[in-house]
Amino acid sequence: MKSGDNGGERLPVIALAGQPNCGKSTLFNALAGFKADTGNFPGTTVSYTASEVVADGRHARIIDLPGTYSISPHDAAELVTRNYLLSGKADVLVAVVDASVLARSIELTLQLLEMGVPMVLALNMVDEAERKGIVVDVDALQERLGIPVVPTVAIRGKGVVRVVSRALAMVDEPSHGKVPIYDRDVEETVKGLLDRMPAGLSDAVGAPARFVALRLLEGDHVIEDQARRVDSDFLDFALAERKRLAQLHDWPEETTLSSHRHAVAMDLFEEVARVVPRKRRSFRDRLDSVVMHPVLGLVVAAAAFASLFLAAFLVGDWLAGMIGGPFERLSQVMAHLAADSILWAVARGFVEGVAGGAGIVLPYLLPLLLMMSIYEDVGYLPRAAYMVDGLLHRIGLHGKSIIPLILGYGCNVPAIMGTRILETPRDRVLTSLLVPFIPCSARTVVILALVAALLGPWYALGVYVLNILVTALVGRALSSVVKGTQAGLLMDVPPYRTPPVRSVLKKVWFRTYEFLVAAWPILIVASVVMGVLEYVGINDWVNAFLSPLTVGVLGLPQAVGVTLFFGLLRKELSLILLFQALGTTDVASVMTPAQILGFTLFVTFYIPCVATIATMVREVGWRWAGVSAALNTAVAIVAATLVRFLW
Amino acid sequence: MTLEQVPKGSRVKVVKRTSGQRFAASMDGMGIHVGDELVVVGSAPFSGPILVEVPASGIQVALGRGMAKKLQVEPVSA
Repeated sequence: MKSGDNGGERLPVIALAGQPNCGKSTLFNALAGFKADTGNFPGTTVSYTASEVVADGRHARIIDLPGTYSISPHDAAELVTRNYLLSGKADVLVAVVDASVLARSIELTLQLLEMGVPMVLALNMVDEAERKGIVVDVDALQERLGIPVVPTVAIRGKGVVRVVSRALAMVDEPSHGKVPIYDRDVEETVKGLLDRMPAGLSDAVGAPARFVALRLLEGDHVIEDQARRVDSDFLDFALAERKRLAQLHDWPEETTLSSHRHAVAMDLFEEVARVVPRKRRSFRDRLDSVVMHPVLGLVVAAAAFASLFLAAFLVGDWLAGMIGGPFERLSQVMAHLAADSILWAVARGFVEGVAGGAGIVLPYLLPLLLMMSIYEDVGYLPRAAYMVDGLLHRIGLHGKSIIPLILGYGCNVPAIMGTRILETPRDRVLTSLLVPFIPCSARTVVILALVAALLGPWYALGVYVLNILVTALVGRALSSVVKGTQAGLLMDVPPYRTPPVRSVLKKVWFRTYEFLVAAWPILIVASVVMGVLEYVGINDWVNAFLSPLTVGVLGLPQAVGVTLFFGLLRKELSLILLFQALGTTDVASVMTPAQILGFTLFVTFYIPCVATIATMVREVGWRWAGVSAALNTAVAIVAATLVRFLW
Repeated sequence: MTLEQVPKGSRVKVVKRTSGQRFAASMDGMGIHVGDELVVVGSAPFSGPILVEVPASGIQVALGRGMAKKLQVEPVSA
């Protein structure tokens, strides 16, 4: 009954902030239990993850804020992180820093310090820093920043509990660190601003007056707006001061302060860190000379993707047989017992919904997630993104879009959630619109059983190639329609790492968990709905209603209408439904090869299942989910009709 | 010249970042400042990104061509 201990009292909130790739999420995963809740910040598409942790016998809530390179209000994630910290919801801030790139991490740390939230520094990846020859004097760093510094190796769980205990100690006795002191000109200007700053401004922003003054000197438009509302004369004064300061150094106005901060950060770095040059880079350099080679690198990327699918298909097939077998026997037994009542229909729908998730989706999803996590933790994914960025730009995407697109082959639901790694709303929307075109494991089952088995494996390969081409064409067309800025690629390429098995498995678990809570329940409900509809006997009605499309346009047997309709609810059942609808498993005896191909293409391209639509609504909103459904249906109709008339 | 025009293997120094504050902030975040030396380590196929290393910190960053165009650099004799 430990979790009941807080007895309605508010748990202390620990917020994690840091640059992307600093190991912030690894630290979070190491701390979080097996349950993490993800959600979007109100009114944005920026998501966070939160979980409850226990340290020193005390409970706390940790929030993994989006990774940010700075606290400038330039992109949604940065603004969200900043607003969250300014809102006062966090009792303590844990700044996570990658010690192997300490020099640049210090700049963000200094900015966070200026926000005045009680803070603890997690100096992460100290092992990697040492391998690189960077030795950090933790005591000196602690002394200079005036906050507790805890060295960690989050990926091995080292130091992570100490971070939480230091953070909780900070909640009990909050203290503020030492804010950086800039050179005399800056400090004098800041003092001038502080003297004239209207009383309410600091409260309106939710941060110390010094922070407000510095942000105004940096040209922060959000703080400028706030200042204008409180006292526009003061804002004019601040803007004039900013101009004067820039002219003093003959620097561009917008980078004057950041240049000063850089200088302070470099001084600090030299004071607290010793760099011993080491010639140990040869392994990485040699490997990268192949992996990132303009030609060989593409071969490596192709091999990596091929291995991903091979693992998913081979292991997935094996797992599906293992898990699916017992469920199949259970539903056969249930079919024999078939009592004629609506309750029975509900029960059967429920069992089949559970079976579909466990027996068809999970077996293919798990190996794919495992391989993806290994590639990610080893450090291959950024390199793959680097290799394919040029190609993906031609269809309006981004190197990093490759990751959600590949996940889509397992299940579209985690794939759409995976678009969160993209920076701009445009890139996220565009990638989310393309994910449903990727045949997930449920559709793969259909392609394999109908096209590969009945028409031959080359046809199946052709379906996949055609699918990629169509997806690329749609992407190209969409990219000229979807407005917004496309972020140019700007990405760290980290060193190679050997991830501990535990951390890889935990990552797989967290992603599987997303499927379990986001997709599976919808699958089960849909299955129950389907059971009831079947019981009520709407099959003939659906077939008749859809016949203008199925028979008229696509030239398929009228009986497949119900398959397509119910396929919306349960895509992985399309195949079984087809057998039922045709009254035989020998599809080739009742459908021509053209019909088989047309049906498969239609199933491959048309609206994804309800779980995908629900995820899309949550991630990018109703409007885009609607666009996506319409787009998929249109493309499916065109593709299947072309097969009919060109065959 | 801009970073985009620099051949592979060359060592250059950042002279100017010719874009707004947003770009400057993201470059700061990546650890690329005016005055820093960079080595162009590689470039990706299909007009893909350029890979640079900041020798002082050992950081490697991939920059899309559009980004690379916004960095004014001058050659450094090794």
